[in-house]
Amino acid sequence: MSETPVLDDRRKRVRYEALVDALYQDVYRYAYWLCKNGALAEDLVQETFLRAWRSLDSLQNDKAAKAWLFTILRRENARLYERYRPELVDIEDQSIADSFESEPDQRLDRRLLHEAIASLEKDYREPLLLQVVGGFSGKEIAAILDLNNNTVMTRLFRARGKLKHVFFPDGNPDESLDEPQDE
Amino acid sequence: MDDLEFRRNAFADPQNQDPEFLAAARSSPERTALLQQLQALDARVSAAAQSIAVPSELKARLMAREELAANDAIVASKPKTTRYIAVAASLVVALGLILSPGLITARPSASDLKFHDEVIGHVYREVARYDTKREDASLAQINSVLKEAGGHLRNEERIKQMHIKFANGCNIASNSKGAHIVLDGEKGSVSVMVVHNSPVTTTFDVNDSRFAGKIIPFGEGNLIIVGEKDEPLDKYQAMISDAFEWSI
Repeated sequence: MSETPVLDDRRKRVRYEALVDALYQDVYRYAYWLCKNGALAEDLVQETFLRAWRSLDSLQNDKAAKAWLFTILRRENARLYERYRPELVDIEDQSIADSFESEPDQRLDRRLLHEAIASLEKDYREPLLLQVVGGFSGKEIAAILDLNNNTVMTRLFRARGKLKHVFFPDGNPDESLDEPQDE
Repeated sequence: MDDLEFRRNAFADPQNQDPEFLAAARSSPERTALLQQLQALDARVSAAAQSIAVPSELKARLMAREELAANDAIVASKPKTTRYIAVAASLVVALGLILSPGLITARPSASDLKFHDEVIGHVYREVARYDTKREDASLAQINSVLKEAGGHLRNEERIKQMHIKFANGCNIASNSKGAHIVLDGEKGSVSVMVVHNSPVTTTFDVNDSRFAGKIIPFGEGNLIIVGEKDEPLDKYQAMISDAFEWSI
């Protein structure tokens, strides 16, 4: 026998709130790094969670919620913003939380790192952030980005290669010569 | 594992815990150093990415979405027969969607479609009044018009940079007061209308041979944004919806 609609709605609400509670910060930060603008990121997150609410029943396993939300978010970003505007390169100063470092050197380092991440091409930035921030495996990243596993690995290789050149310029200058070419 | 394969693995995933990879990493001081360097880089990337401040009100906003309550109310109040009719109506709309891509993104009702036509008609009627205007309206002037419609724009730098050149009361919805502001977009004038209590409950696109835009449920009413085709409207939508506050 099916549950009453009121109980179903209440359960749905509880499940939704648990989802927001656990993941809204990750989803916002991912949105921020996708569009590099706080106001747009917020809008995207709201749209993402609204769509999540509407199709919550299609999420079978809550452990897959993060990948599911990130996939919705990417789709919304493509639908709402990507086709309308070129990528922003500058990131907003006010987006960096003040609480992390108070030392000017550390803040400068973070600022440079933000710029380096933001200036990575999207094809490299996205898998790197999914791996380092999202904690996704190569296979999961491949599913979210709809790419094959080798392509993801190649892009991760190149993303780190580019960042490493910025932050550890003393490395082997021939590093770029042995990049995998299997895309 | 040769050097090339080790490097590929290390750059692709420095946190790789595969025993063969870890053994390869330990096999030479150079490999160990490279892996440590990449792991340090990951830690810095992670810290930098996580240092983005999340807006303090965001969680409350996600939890208290009016759309959620509205969605609940609609689902709960529909008797079964209505649902079947709604499914049939959805199929008709879905078919319409397939036949006319770009016209509609959601499931507008007949009254929504009527409103769509009224919006287009309104923009054609009004465009002559503002299209050649160039000087900016003051925020006070804009807010006195918005106040009539039941809200105001917060005094923000990015709003000032939007070059709002026209602000007037708007009769687009016959049963409530609205505000019509116009700003200079990239392709021409962009109309932004805020209407309190108008009939639309779902976002849908406005489209004709010249103009494109959206009608969006917006707090206590609707936000309507219309510009010339190819105008990047979403950034204006984001800014307005962010800076606008209802006061009724």
